[in-house]
Amino acid sequence: MERLEAIQVLAECRNQALSVAIMQACVPWHDAGQADAFHVDAQGCMGSASSIALGLAVAQPDRKVLVLDGDGSLLMQLGSLVTVAAAAPANLYHFVFDNGVHQSSGNQTVPGAGKFNFVQLALAAGYASACSFSDAAEMRAELPRLVASTGPVLIRLEIARENTHPRWPKAKMADQVQAMRSALRS
Amino acid sequence: MGARSIPAQLLLDHIQSCQITHVLTVPDTHQKTLLALLAARDQPRLLTVCTEDEAVGINLGLYAGGQRPMLLIQNNGLYACLNAIKALSLDAQVPLLMLIGEFGRDVSLPSRENKLRAVRLLTPTLDTWGIPHYQLEGPDDAGCLVEAYQRAEAQCGPVAVIVGAPTT
Repeated sequence: MERLEAIQVLAECRNQALSVAIMQACVPWHDAGQADAFHVDAQGCMGSASSIALGLAVAQPDRKVLVLDGDGSLLMQLGSLVTVAAAAPANLYHFVFDNGVHQSSGNQTVPGAGKFNFVQLALAAGYASACSFSDAAEMRAELPRLVASTGPVLIRLEIARENTHPRWPKAKMADQVQAMRSALRS
Repeated sequence: MGARSIPAQLLLDHIQSCQITHVLTVPDTHQKTLLALLAARDQPRLLTVCTEDEAVGINLGLYAGGQRPMLLIQNNGLYACLNAIKALSLDAQVPLLMLIGEFGRDVSLPSRENKLRAVRLLTPTLDTWGIPHYQLEGPDDAGCLVEAYQRAEAQCGPVAVIVGAPTT
């Protein structure tokens, strides 16, 4: 499926969830109207999205947390799968956009593309469940059930490669963090 | 001047007086008695993670979610997570208190006179990044931890507290 199709499905089922996006998931998430006070972009530190989300999930156990991660990004901090599973946040849903390349730096192939399996890695790490979608209609049909299930859940999204220039959010992370902290206080 | 051991309970008392909610750690040999005290308690909650990068990210998430976290790591871990500190504390303007053990230090010598790079280059590295730091060289210095946390909060950035000798 296309990245934007997956983003649209995620936006439709977000409800009141907190969200964290990284790399090339950020701007489409903003464009889908999701960059509110309950969203933060993980900027300048590849691989950090799931860790930030874990902190949010532990801090706010009554809210669901959606992570919009990338394959190349998650590979940079793959041990975070174990850390998330160990903390066992029931409210964390980890979406991994998998196109097999580092799109932000020019579509270089990620290490081991096609050889490893994020679903199996997540399950082996101790996630409550994990699955994969390559079709937006199937994803739309299954997602409500998945985000109602007990986390942590990893959902791999097999998306098409894009030959577009990378886009970056204009929002400052510092402003987003303070906005979220304030919004969660009120 | 050399470094003297600080009782772990004294450090825990100061951590509690800061109302720390979560201690994020990649274990540190120097602070194993403090880690044991923390592991035996529910509050603050001790979270052991795989890498210091993760700890800095979780710190941001906990802070954004209204909590008061801190890190407990060693000098080598500080070097390992500089990019995360750059992005997720300095740039993101998030308080980040780091209790850093000087793993490998010859405690009879000042840090800067130690042969090990991991020890000798810690404060120069922190200075390069503009990260304020305090050195706990003995029990009389333990109160610095409270001042360091207040500074991290006030400046919305990282502050390091360096533990010179193994805690008891």
